[in-house]
Amino acid sequence: MNYETVIGLEVHVELATKSKIFCSCNAKYGAGPNEHVCPACCGMPGMLPVVNKRVVDYGMKAGMMLNCHINRTTTFDKKSYYYPDLPCAYQTTQWFAPVAVNGTVEIETSKGKKNIRIKQIHMEEDAGKLVHDIAEDTTHVDFNRTSVPLIEIVSQPDLSSAEEVEAYLERLKMLLRYAKVAECAMEHGTMRCDVNLSVRPEGSDQLGVRTEMKNMNSIEAIKHAIEYETARHIDAIENGTEVLVQETRRWDDIKGKSFAMRNKETAGDYRYFPDPNLMPVVIDDAWYDSIQASLPELPEEKYARYTEQLGLSEYDAAQLVKSIALCECFEAAHAVCGSAKDAANWMISEIMSILNQRKMTYDMLNINGTSLGELIKLVMDGTVGRANGKKILNAMFEDASIVPAEYAEKNGYIMSNDTGLIEQVVKAAIEAEPKAVADYKGGKEKAIMSIFGRCMKELKGNCDPQTLRTILIDTINKM
Amino acid sequence: MDRETLRRLELLNQLKLTEEQKEEITAFFDCREKDLAVLNAIDTSQTERQVHVMPIMTVVREDIASQPFTVEELQKGAPDTDQGYWCVPRVVE
Ligand SMILES: [Zn+2]
Repeated sequence: MNYETVIGLEVHVELATKSKIFCSCNAKYGAGPNEHVCPACCGMPGMLPVVNKRVVDYGMKAGMMLNCHINRTTTFDKKSYYYPDLPCAYQTTQWFAPVAVNGTVEIETSKGKKNIRIKQIHMEEDAGKLVHDIAEDTTHVDFNRTSVPLIEIVSQPDLSSAEEVEAYLERLKMLLRYAKVAECAMEHGTMRCDVNLSVRPEGSDQLGVRTEMKNMNSIEAIKHAIEYETARHIDAIENGTEVLVQETRRWDDIKGKSFAMRNKETAGDYRYFPDPNLMPVVIDDAWYDSIQASLPELPEEKYARYTEQLGLSEYDAAQLVKSIALCECFEAAHAVCGSAKDAANWMISEIMSILNQRKMTYDMLNINGTSLGELIKLVMDGTVGRANGKKILNAMFEDASIVPAEYAEKNGYIMSNDTGLIEQVVKAAIEAEPKAVADYKGGKEKAIMSIFGRCMKELKGNCDPQTLRTILIDTINKM
Repeated sequence: MDRETLRRLELLNQLKLTEEQKEEITAFFDCREKDLAVLNAIDTSQTERQVHVMPIMTVVREDIASQPFTVEELQKGAPDTDQGYWCVPRVVE
C-alpha cells in the first residue's frame, strides 16, 4: 500500500524588537546571566505587564505578509504550566483571538506550486533558559530570554514531504526578513520549529495518529526527522512493530532517532484563560493602514521590476532577490551610479563572492549602497581601475565609513592618463625582460603578458589596460 | 464530575485534596456543569464575541529598552543564587 505523510508546522520566530513584549528589558541576546531582567519578567508578585507596540506592529506585519486576516481586536491569554523556566507558572500567549488568522503561503518545489494554509499567527513570550551543567544537584536559571517576544506561525496540515517543509520554511524566512520583523536564523535559535506528523493510506481522508517533534533547529535535522518518523509510522501500521500513540517526541540528530518525551498535552491541560491584567488590543484603521503602508515590495515584485524596468537578466535578478539586504544595497548603488547593469554586476561578481569568502550570509551585508554606487561610478568613468576598485570594496567591508573617492586618493588608486609616464614605464620593463621580448617577437604572443604585468604593477594598477597594451605593443614593434 | 477528571485537575494544579474536599468540589462542579448546560443551549453562532465586560482597551508602550534593576537587587530575596543565576532543585525532563 502507498502511504502519504501529513505534516503541520508550528514555527516560533523571535521578533527583532529592542525591548521585551511586556516590560522594557533589553531583548537582545548575549548578556551575562539575568542582566536583562526586571521584577515583571522574573515574575515578582504584583508586577503588571504593558504591551510593547512594536510587537503588535510586527505581528500584524507578519500576518499581512502571509495573507492573513488581521483580528482588529486581539487578546492575550494565560497558558498554565509549571516549569522553572517560566517564572509566573504561566506563559502569556494568544488563544482565543490571535492577531492573525486564515492565511496562505505559496511554495514551489520540484512538483510545482502549492498553497499552504496558515491557521493562525499568535504573539507570545519566550521562556527562560535552564543550565544543568554548572552544578550536579541544582539547576541554574537565567531569565534573560523570558518575555522576549515571539510569534508562533501555525500551519494547517498541508505539507506532505521534507522537500515541501524545506520550501515552506525558506519562504517564511524570506517573507519575514523582507518585512524586517525577524532574523529567522535557526542556527541562532531565532527560528524554531515543532513538526506534527501523521501517516495515512494514500487518498484517505482520515488522519492517522499524530506525533509532535519539538524545537527542531536546523532544516537538515527536520528533514531527517521527517524521514525517520514517516518510516517509523509506516512500520508500525504495516508490521505492528509498535502501537502509535499521540505524543511529543524528541529528535536526537546525532543518533538519527526520535524518542518519546511525554504524552501530548491537550489544550485543556494548559487551562487557557483570558489574562485579566491585559486589556484587549484594539487595532484602529489608522494603525492598520500604517502597517499596511509599511509592507515591503515582495521578492516576485522586485524580480519583475528588475527584469522588466531595469533590464537585468533573469539570472541577475534572481540572485539579487534572494536577500532584502542585497536588494537594498543594489537599489541604493543603482540610484547613485545610474547603471543597473553595472550595479548588478558588482553585487553579483564582487559583493556576493566576498560574502561567500568571508562566510557571511547575504543578510549580514554591511556595505553602504550609496558608497558602493560612488565606487562603481569612479570605475565607470575611468577614475579608478577595476582591480583597484575591488581593493577599495574589500576595505569597505572592514570599515563601512570609507568614502571611496577619498580612499582612492589617499591610497594612490587614481588612474593616470599620463602617456609620457606609461611610455617610460614600458621602456624600463622592456629593458628588464629581454627574453620575453625575444619570445614575443619569435611568435609567442603570450610572452607579452609578463611585461604587461610588470608595467601594471609599476603603475599600481592606475592605468587603463587597453591603453597600456597598445603602447606596449607599439613600442616592441618599433624595436 | 468523575473521580478521574478530579484526579487530573488535582495533578495539574499541584494540589493535594482531602476526601472531604473532593466531595465538596465534586458537588460544586456538578452544579456548575448544569448551569453551563443551560448556557450552552443558547445559539451564539451569530453573536459577536465579548472580549471584556467594559469597553476598554490596552495602552501600549514604545519599544525602548532600559534596565533599571541590577541582578543583585533582584536576587536580594532569593533563597539560592550562584554567579547571577537563580538556583532551583535539579530538573531534568
Ligand atoms: Zn523585564
